[in-house]
Amino acid sequence: MSEIDTSQAPMSPEEQKAFQARQKQRAVIMAGLLLFLCVLFYLITIVKIGAAS
Amino acid sequence: MTTASTTLHGLASAKDLFALTKPRVMSLVIFTALCGLLAAPGTIHPVLGFTAILAISLGAGASAALNQWYESDIDAVMKRTSQRPLPAGRMDRETALHFGIGLSVFSVVLMGVALNWFSAAFLAFSIFFYAVVYTIWLKRSTPQNIVIGGAAGAFPPAIGWAAVTGDVTLMPVLLFAIIFFWTPPHFWALALFVNSDYSKAGVPMMPVVAGRRSTRKQIFAYSLVLAVVAIAPFALGLAGSVYGISAIVLNIVFSSLSLKVAMSETFQPEDMEAEKRLFKFSILYLFALFFAVVADRLVMA
Repeated sequence: MSEIDTSQAPMSPEEQKAFQARQKQRAVIMAGLLLFLCVLFYLITIVKIGAAS
Repeated sequence: MTTASTTLHGLASAKDLFALTKPRVMSLVIFTALCGLLAAPGTIHPVLGFTAILAISLGAGASAALNQWYESDIDAVMKRTSQRPLPAGRMDRETALHFGIGLSVFSVVLMGVALNWFSAAFLAFSIFFYAVVYTIWLKRSTPQNIVIGGAAGAFPPAIGWAAVTGDVTLMPVLLFAIIFFWTPPHFWALALFVNSDYSKAGVPMMPVVAGRRSTRKQIFAYSLVLAVVAIAPFALGLAGSVYGISAIVLNIVFSSLSLKVAMSETFQPEDMEAEKRLFKFSILYLFALFFAVVADRLVMA
C-alpha cells in the first residue's frame, strides 16, 4: 500500500478526546441495552413458566 | 475515503450504527409484522408479542446493515445514498458486516427462544433472501430486481403470523402476496418522477432499462394482480366484510390511479401528477389495507 495507513497513526490530543467520548457513549448505550435485555429475558421466562404450569 | 478523522480509528458512532439499520424502512416492517401478529388466530402474551416484533425489527435492521455493507460502492455514486455511514467514510465495512451478522444471529435466536423455531427459521430465511438473493445476487443483474426485493419486504406479516400460530396458512401467504404485488407499482411510480442515479451506478432499474412506457404498462398490470390478491381473503371467506369493503374501495382507487399512469405519456418529471398521486396513495393504501385486516379480525372476534 503506497498511502500512509492513517487508521494506525497515533492520535492527536483532540482525536483522543473525541475517541474516548465516543467510547463512553457506546458503553453507556450498551449498558442500557444489556439492562433492557435482562429485564426482557426475565419477563419472557416468567411468561413461559406461567404458560407451562 | 476512510480516514482516522472520519471513523475515529475504526470506532463508529452509535448514531451511525443505528442509521445502518434503515430506521424509516423498519417502521413499515414493524407495522406490517404487528398486523400479521394481531390478525393471526389465537392469542399471544403481550411480552411475547413485543419480543416477536422486536426480533422481526432487528432482523430487518440486520438485513439493511448487510445490504449497506455490500452496496457501499453503489451508494457512493448515488446522491441520495452518498451520505450513508459507509460511503461517507464514517464507518469501515468490517464494522458493518460484523454488526449485520451479529444482529442477524441475535434476532433469530431471540425469536426461537421466546416464540418458536419455525418463525425463527422463517426470519433467518428472510434475512438470507434480502442480503444474499436480492442484494448480492439479483439486484445488479435483472430489471425485475424491485419485484424480488419486494418479496424480502413482504415477509414480516407472515413471520408475525407464524410467531403466534407456529405455522403458515393461506391468509399469511396472501398478506405476503399483497406487499409483493404492491411494491413494483409503488416503487416504479417513484422511479418515474424522481431523477435517480441508478443508471450511473449500473443498477438495471425498470424505467432505465425498459423505458417509461413499458414501466407504466407494468404498473397497471401489477395493480390488477394486486387487486385480485387483496380481495382474495374476502372472496375466499378468510376475512369479513370490514376487510372486504375496504379492500374493494382501496383497490378501485389504486387501479384507477394506475390506469391514469398507464395512459400518461409525459417525460417531464414536473408534469407527472398521475405518478405522484399514485405514489402518495400507495403508501396510504398499504397502511389502510393492513389496518383493515386487524380491524376486521377484532370485529369478527
